[in-house]
Amino acid sequence: MDSAVVVENLSKTWRPPLGPPQPALSGLTLTIPRGAAFGLIGPNGAGKTTFIKLLLAVARPTGGTVEVLGGDPEDTRIRARVGYLPERMHLPAALSGGDFLRSVAALKRLRPSEAALRVSMERVGLGTTKQRIATYSKGMRQRLGLAAALLGGPDLLVLDEPTDGIDPVGRVELRELLVAERRRGTTLLVNSHLLAETERVCDRIGILDRGRLRLEGTLEEVRRSSTHWVARFAEGAPADRLREAGFVATGDGWAFTGPLGGPDAEALNAALDRARAAGARLVELAPSSRDLEQVLSETLERPL
Amino acid sequence: MRQVWRVGLDLLLEAIRRRWFLALFAFVTLALVLVGQALQVQVVDGAIAGSTLFGEVLFDDIFLADRVLGPVYLATAYLGFFVGIPVLAVACCDFAPELMAPGRIEHLLSLPVARWQVVAGTYLGVVTLAAATTLYASAGLTVLLGLKTGLWNGRLVLASMVGWVGFCALYAPMLAAAIVVRSAALSAATGFVTLVFGVMSSVREQIIPSLEPGLGRFVFRWAVMPFPRLGTLARASAHLASGQTVPADHLGRLVGGALIFSAALLALSAYQFERKDF
Repeated sequence: MDSAVVVENLSKTWRPPLGPPQPALSGLTLTIPRGAAFGLIGPNGAGKTTFIKLLLAVARPTGGTVEVLGGDPEDTRIRARVGYLPERMHLPAALSGGDFLRSVAALKRLRPSEAALRVSMERVGLGTTKQRIATYSKGMRQRLGLAAALLGGPDLLVLDEPTDGIDPVGRVELRELLVAERRRGTTLLVNSHLLAETERVCDRIGILDRGRLRLEGTLEEVRRSSTHWVARFAEGAPADRLREAGFVATGDGWAFTGPLGGPDAEALNAALDRARAAGARLVELAPSSRDLEQVLSETLERPL
Repeated sequence: MRQVWRVGLDLLLEAIRRRWFLALFAFVTLALVLVGQALQVQVVDGAIAGSTLFGEVLFDDIFLADRVLGPVYLATAYLGFFVGIPVLAVACCDFAPELMAPGRIEHLLSLPVARWQVVAGTYLGVVTLAAATTLYASAGLTVLLGLKTGLWNGRLVLASMVGWVGFCALYAPMLAAAIVVRSAALSAATGFVTLVFGVMSSVREQIIPSLEPGLGRFVFRWAVMPFPRLGTLARASAHLASGQTVPADHLGRLVGGALIFSAALLALSAYQFERKDF
């Protein structure tokens, strides 16, 4: 499959002038297919922003390789195809929103008309191009940053905490906007603390913790990366025999954990055969599907 | 090269939108208007018969206009160099640190612009701004004195451009300092130190004999050697303004030295910036 991002054995250690070196990423290997919406989640200090900076050549890796849209992110032709919204974007307060977009467009070698700039701003819910950025609220600044990232229809959109400071209505609008971008074929890389938002927008998830990729896959895979299946049996199933077969009673049925700690098909079927032989009638079997919060908590092996 | 200009133009646009710079231009305009109103000059057949400033008689003898304007231009050129340049340096000292603010530099570097272009564009934007301010003030004063005395020449404008070369040499280490440590104060202090060392470099041969032979003299000689001779450049600028002869090769060496110093510091800045992680 064609890939938007390929990183291999990527590592980064920050070396502050004073103080000890701070490892941020170690041995990260990851591929993001083109057209995917990839959500990067993890606790503070996990290395998410560092990872994004390495993808954009804002920082250089200590080791490993980075390939973005089939090329080196140091290449300005590659970066021309990437839209980026940094975390806590700092905008030049003296300029108007229109000035800023015009400036970004010029650096992206675009020549949008005034009408096109207005459309870009309206698309992110900003009314006028003339208002000075100094008078913008936090949410408006975020929206302007997003408008800048979307200029020129990028092939890869990298958003670091895109909903930071945006109200709930704005979040819905942002989600619709990102869905529209995906429909256009844009690859999304979203780093957000808002797991519910990530879950709604992204179809692939990566969990980063202490500089290492702990879990990665499609949203379904990640949510089912549980160590158990949940079975429901018809009324009258013998509880003691089910326990003997390896099932554990839970709130919503009987959970089965395979001998290797994963959803092992052989072990599951053997347990089901034993349950059926004891008179239990299976009515439903499903892998346990959890929300991202649970997945993250279990992956990190600590409560969030 | 287009990207360099774009970075520079963005900086100019930001400067224009900043009230500080509007205030600076307003101040220069006000000063010119004030001097224009306060200075009364009586001109008879190309000679100045008398002059008052704020009603005070400056002189009432008859002098050739050129003889009177010479010292005025000389003083103005010195003032521009030793007061105007530091004021401009302070006014421009936060452009680079502001550009490298967290959340802004990441965005800028994610755009299709090479790092050296960011450095060159920032430098170009600031020195263009300084040139515009210098030209505005010197041309304004030339027009004002021309209207008052009937004597027209471009010496002050030419001298101000020589002074501007001095600013170019001052801003290059300021930019380098801002790249190493993102601090407007440190950048301004670097400019001040460069000016002081540049003046000392001009008179180093006079200073050295007064130092004890040995390590002190050795350190002083080598410490000031890399700096362009800004004091001599200021003198050349003032002499040009007052109509005194400045040998072309002497001026060429001074301007060339300042430009080479600027280019070297700019290359160092680009090298530092290229290696820096944000």
